[in-house]
Amino acid sequence: MLPQRMKKAITDNPKKLANLIDLVNLPSTLREFVGQSQISRLGCFKCIWSYIKTNNLQDQNNKNVVNCDEKLKSILLGKPQVELAELPALIKMHFPKEPK
Amino acid sequence: MGKIPPSFRSAIANPNLRNPSSLFRPQPHHFPNKHQQPRKPSKQQQKPSSLPLFKSPNLEDAKKLFNSIANSSSDPRFPNSLLHSYAKLATTPSDSIKFFNHITKTLPSFSPDRSTFHILLSHASNNSNLLSPIHQTLNLMLAAGITPDTATADVAVRSLCSAGRLDHAVELIKEFASKHCPPDTYTFNFLVKHLCKSSTITTVYAFIDEMREKFDVKPDLVTYTILIDNVCNGKNLNLREAMRLVSVLHEEGFKLDCFVYNTIMKGYCVLSRGSEAIEVYNKMKEEGVEPDLVTYNTLIFGLSKSGRVTEARKLLRVMAEKGYFPDEVTYTSLMNGLCRKGDALGALALLGEMEAKGCSPNACTYNTLLHGLCKARLVEKAVKFYQVIRASGLKLDTASYGTFVRALCRDGRIAEAYEVFDYAVESKSLTDVAAYSTLESTLKWLRKAKEQGLAI
Repeated sequence: MLPQRMKKAITDNPKKLANLIDLVNLPSTLREFVGQSQISRLGCFKCIWSYIKTNNLQDQNNKNVVNCDEKLKSILLGKPQVELAELPALIKMHFPKEPK
Repeated sequence: MGKIPPSFRSAIANPNLRNPSSLFRPQPHHFPNKHQQPRKPSKQQQKPSSLPLFKSPNLEDAKKLFNSIANSSSDPRFPNSLLHSYAKLATTPSDSIKFFNHITKTLPSFSPDRSTFHILLSHASNNSNLLSPIHQTLNLMLAAGITPDTATADVAVRSLCSAGRLDHAVELIKEFASKHCPPDTYTFNFLVKHLCKSSTITTVYAFIDEMREKFDVKPDLVTYTILIDNVCNGKNLNLREAMRLVSVLHEEGFKLDCFVYNTIMKGYCVLSRGSEAIEVYNKMKEEGVEPDLVTYNTLIFGLSKSGRVTEARKLLRVMAEKGYFPDEVTYTSLMNGLCRKGDALGALALLGEMEAKGCSPNACTYNTLLHGLCKARLVEKAVKFYQVIRASGLKLDTASYGTFVRALCRDGRIAEAYEVFDYAVESKSLTDVAAYSTLESTLKWLRKAKEQGLAI
């Protein structure tokens, strides 16, 4: 069951949830990374986060920082280092708002 | 009991199917070592009739299987249990009725009794949106010379309610009252309770009035308690209506019992109106109604919620004098009150006291404490506490998850916040969506706060 506040958020603004879970056609760079042609923003986040974990890309001295490998660099604006805090915002860039 | 993978389990069950007589062999008296026994036999020991005998909802297959084992038992209840296990599986209720007809034809010795029809009725609302299977069953019942009674009505109404078909249940209960017999109070109250959940209160009143006028079914104390509970609950909290119902209760000459008082008290407590809750408690004592554990728990919850922890603590002593032992709900309410006042360490001390008295905390207790520790900015303690929650595999609730993630992010421990996110998703505490949107909005808030140069 969804928590009360969440439920309210959804009824108030169904689009907010929709852009999190709707499948989106991906640009070619991202498509290569996730291995699918469509994914939701939530799915994409989980995919990238688990990629970071399985490949041990978090910096040993500061876990809040990710040292990107080539593959990750290609989808995260080519940055060599990314802070975990900005990961959702970076991912969001691949999912532009649909024009009205 | 040892776990058996599903594929292996069907392998055990299959020989039984091919050799049905093995199903009804004399039961072994005991298992020397229960843990090493596969699941099936021990189940068989308890309840031979609940074996998944029928594998497919196909009617013809079921008939064939029935023919092959029809005479293997002389127990008069045997056809009933077969009917029961098929009805559970059947795609439509009419299949079950056909199967029933098949049994009566092939086994002339079998005379269906009340329970046979109740089996059919209890499954008559599976995968069907019509009342006709129920009518059909009732006709069969009358044809067999059995008049439907209050139990029959109860079975039918309950099965309709569990399928979420309340309109049909209402229709059926009226029809029953006019044709056969009025429902008993259990059926009536059951239906009222379900109606309260899904319809407006006016619809429920209309239903109760109609039943009273047409069929002389009078609401009793339980009915009123259900109604009061409904108006005291969550989103449609309406205490004026609750008070009106209480006055109706007085007019009708009912003496209020502990449950009614507890319900009213809950209404006040949810609104954090501690003084009124105390008034109800005093009224109870005046009227000579003995408070029970729920009364004390409600009162302690309400007082804690309205910031009167000291009084709540006093009540803890009172209830102990009366011989009620505070349970995990009592302690959790108190901890909640302490945390609200910012005394998270006091709440933590209470946890020790609670455990010393042999009362084990539940998930809610841990969540309350985690929430309180975060609110009091004791992040280090909160992290340690979270490890305990994790180690015991308990679920996080939405509030404590959100607060904890926020506290970690504020402390710059983003990686740990991500780890909490993973745990929340993995332990199914929250939905992925809820967990992620909390994390995302927290990080967004963090960035904005940093940009504006706010101290965090």
